[in-house]
Amino acid sequence: MHELSIASGLVEKLLDFADKNPDRKIVEVLLAVGELSHIEDEQLRFCYEAITVETPLEGSKLEIEKIDAMVKCPNCSYRGRPKYWDGALSGIPVATLECPSCGKTTEATDGQECAIKSLRFTETSAIAS
Amino acid sequence: MANEGAVQATIEASPDEIYDIELEHSLLEANAKLAVENRALLDRHGITAIDFMGAIGSGKTTLITKLVERLKDRLGVAVFNGDATTSNDADAIAKQNVPVVQIATINGCHLDANLVGKGLRKIELENLKLIFIENIGNLICPAEFPLGSKARVVVVSVTEGPWMVRKHPHMFLGAEIVVINKIDLAHLMEVSVEELVKDVHKLKPDIKVIPTSTKTGAGLDDFEKALLAV
Repeated sequence: MHELSIASGLVEKLLDFADKNPDRKIVEVLLAVGELSHIEDEQLRFCYEAITVETPLEGSKLEIEKIDAMVKCPNCSYRGRPKYWDGALSGIPVATLECPSCGKTTEATDGQECAIKSLRFTETSAIAS
Repeated sequence: MANEGAVQATIEASPDEIYDIELEHSLLEANAKLAVENRALLDRHGITAIDFMGAIGSGKTTLITKLVERLKDRLGVAVFNGDATTSNDADAIAKQNVPVVQIATINGCHLDANLVGKGLRKIELENLKLIFIENIGNLICPAEFPLGSKARVVVVSVTEGPWMVRKHPHMFLGAEIVVINKIDLAHLMEVSVEELVKDVHKLKPDIKVIPTSTKTGAGLDDFEKALLAV
């Protein structure tokens, strides 16, 4: 379950932020997760909640924004959404690297990321004073 | 007005108490950076590293052993063997008398560039030409973690059934070579090798797909050639 490694990396960064900003309490984290990454939202949330217990992050919310896959074709210079394989399995269509325009292999330009996009926090010193 | 069992109060920070900061901090970047460093180290020594990914029991260790047998007298080969706990696979390959590094991830589901980097600093890199890195048996997690290899090989075997490619598409998107292993058992499994090859090409049209059997030796010449051409 690599979500645990990802969540640990995330929490490490956030605790670092919390450490440097003792008067700011993180209430929400927005994570951008690419369509082509293998990161399962629910598992990531579960790991996040589990490892933030009894840390300054406890109770903060993890929001996940999905980033669409984009590809470019070195052969015909197509740029845009990938071709989807509809009948691969019952359920969701599968993104492929087949060029929708010429059929050659494309390269993914977007959709592989997993990045912290923004943080929301409250200034706790304002409440304390 | 307090209602037993209901939420007593909801405190919401007023908008002026909430602050947003924009960050673009990649969580995969730390590993990606180390992978680039590994690659630079390998390039400096003229070494090609090949990363083998695939499910448990797909035949990664046996394939690597066969390749080592064929290549070790001609060029310097070393093997990095990722395993969650045991050293069974590393021990098997070490019988070939080539340098073997066992990387125990202690229940981790993938190798990462940091562990591979540590391994690279543990062995004598002079005289090596090729390093085979056997990832943890897992068709999902390793894809997110490049190691610094020049090519990634995905090994699937017909004994895993007819849908392995469709079920794990992401794994194949990042690969340069796909091996369909244990083709000698295809008829017993009633799995069509041709269909598996077609499935891979649907995901990535120009990728090299090599059907192999370590029992009969089928496809091993092709596989060796493809690896040396990486």
